[in-house]
Amino acid sequence: MLRKDINELLTQTGPGTPMGNLFRQYWLPALLAEELAEDGAAPVRVKLLSERLLAFRDSEGRYGLIDEFCAHRGASLWFGRNEEAGLRCPYHGWKYDVTGQCIEVPSESDNSSFCQNVKLTSYPLVKIGDLLWTYMGDPATTPPLPEYEFALVPAEQTYTSKRWQQCNWLQAFEGGIDSSHVTFLHSGGLKSDPLFKGSKGNEYNMKDTKPFFEVADSEGGLFVGARRNAEPGTYYWRITPWVMPNFTMVPPRGDHPVHGHFWVPIDDENCWTYSFDYHPVRALTDTERQAMIDGHGVHSKNIPGTYRPAANMDNDYLMDREAQRRGDTYSGVAGIAMQDASLQESMGPIVDRSKERLVPADSGIIKARQKLRKAAIALRDEGVTPPGVDPAHHKVRSAAVVLPVAESFLDSCRDAVTVTPGVAQTTV
Amino acid sequence: MTVPVTWPSESARAASREESRFRITRPLAPARNARVIALDPAAEAVARRVARGPWAKARFYTVAGAAGDAAAPLLELHGRPAALADILTGTDVVVILASEDTGRAQAAAIGRECGARAITTAGVVLGDGFEADGAMAALRPYARVLLLSADESDVFELLTALRV
Ligand code: FES
Ligand SMILES: [Fe+2]
Repeated sequence: MLRKDINELLTQTGPGTPMGNLFRQYWLPALLAEELAEDGAAPVRVKLLSERLLAFRDSEGRYGLIDEFCAHRGASLWFGRNEEAGLRCPYHGWKYDVTGQCIEVPSESDNSSFCQNVKLTSYPLVKIGDLLWTYMGDPATTPPLPEYEFALVPAEQTYTSKRWQQCNWLQAFEGGIDSSHVTFLHSGGLKSDPLFKGSKGNEYNMKDTKPFFEVADSEGGLFVGARRNAEPGTYYWRITPWVMPNFTMVPPRGDHPVHGHFWVPIDDENCWTYSFDYHPVRALTDTERQAMIDGHGVHSKNIPGTYRPAANMDNDYLMDREAQRRGDTYSGVAGIAMQDASLQESMGPIVDRSKERLVPADSGIIKARQKLRKAAIALRDEGVTPPGVDPAHHKVRSAAVVLPVAESFLDSCRDAVTVTPGVAQTTV
Repeated sequence: MTVPVTWPSESARAASREESRFRITRPLAPARNARVIALDPAAEAVARRVARGPWAKARFYTVAGAAGDAAAPLLELHGRPAALADILTGTDVVVILASEDTGRAQAAAIGRECGARAITTAGVVLGDGFEADGAMAALRPYARVLLLSADESDVFELLTALRV
């Protein structure tokens, strides 16, 4: 359980809140690069950390993330015309560049300096990998760009999708470090999902449904190790890294691409779940990429033209009681992503954590909440830069290994949980 | 005039903020009858401070002074000896605190006993953990969770989260 005031601290990310300020220390995924596919593309509404913004790519190929609303009388610039090197409000013709600087006010005389003094709030928008990243904090302390491996490998080795999730970011994120639900909720997927099935590790996973856990600090967050019995004298370990505040990876299975997530607050009752799959040393096969596009693995099948899952709360997640009875799916909801999302959304927009009954197996979640709270308070009270800002902290991997019973997963897996470019993931 | 709200589905309505208000709010009883056992002097100091917290059912013990002797009785914090078997009766979670290796033998003994009685066990390794490698290894087969590189506040958070 978590006290109400701490729950509020961790779940509120709007401007001026302690957690909001914490999030504003980091580069965060703002949207997919495919949403602004070419120069002069249609602008996209982006709500992040409870701020309504507009992303656009001008005729010169520059990216910008600016206040959604025109400085004149507040019309939405989503209706704007993407013209030469700027976005023009269609109401009275004010024009802005990618930094939010007003560059033309037609009603003013040609040489007026008025527009120089009009600037919309704006944040940098930078393409790395398949994502456009933004930093919404103080420009004076802009950190170096993110260096997550999935975003740095060549394009043919990586794929990222996103989906709208209708609940607070924290309850979505907590699923990402909650190893003990996998053998229940996702048991169907371990058998049948094209991006999961067929690994030796899955057998250990299914044979031993009562994992043991070890939770250890890392420089950027945590490593959560889940241990199951393997052959006599050995344990099967699945190691999940968390980089603060909202990046998690799933331990690999066989030679399948490795997946993970970013959990990005839209506002306090909605978040974007970014789901990526990459292989450190080889291109994704056409079959794998197609499976991802089709919504298998950690990805979702979305309503065409949107990032809303086709199975969503409005259609009861296409609940299939027959499939549940047969055991094809454990919960009756199809697909790993929506199995998670359906239950997390069912908790309500912001779950009341004072009502939980946690067990020792939830220690990863307990520790993560504590680290978030401490970091938010250290930032608020002493200006301490939180873990996970330094790009060195991004260079972690998940791993799956079989170790002799006497070995500690951290001592044995230092290399396995560290990115070495050109070296394959450690997996069973 | 109020506009009637129509929900596209049962799930959508049930997940709404409005409906969250109707979740049953009856207070929960403390769920777990916990025992916290400190294996060495530094761990004992932590246990003493944490013991001042607002716990309903947690009780605290130490083995300090009997380092290395797995058969020695545990002590309540004010010094009265207590047999492990008595301490574990009626308990459903044991949290073991260690900061160094001296308590290795006790860790194994307590872990085994908890295992035999199906009592969930959690190990908290205080400090950077290097000094407690042996205690950790002794606990590993039994502890459902090991919190490594932990500090006093982790112990407090863990007990709070477990509602002891
Ligand atoms: S079993 Fe975990 S929420 Fe129900
Ligand atoms: Fe999941």
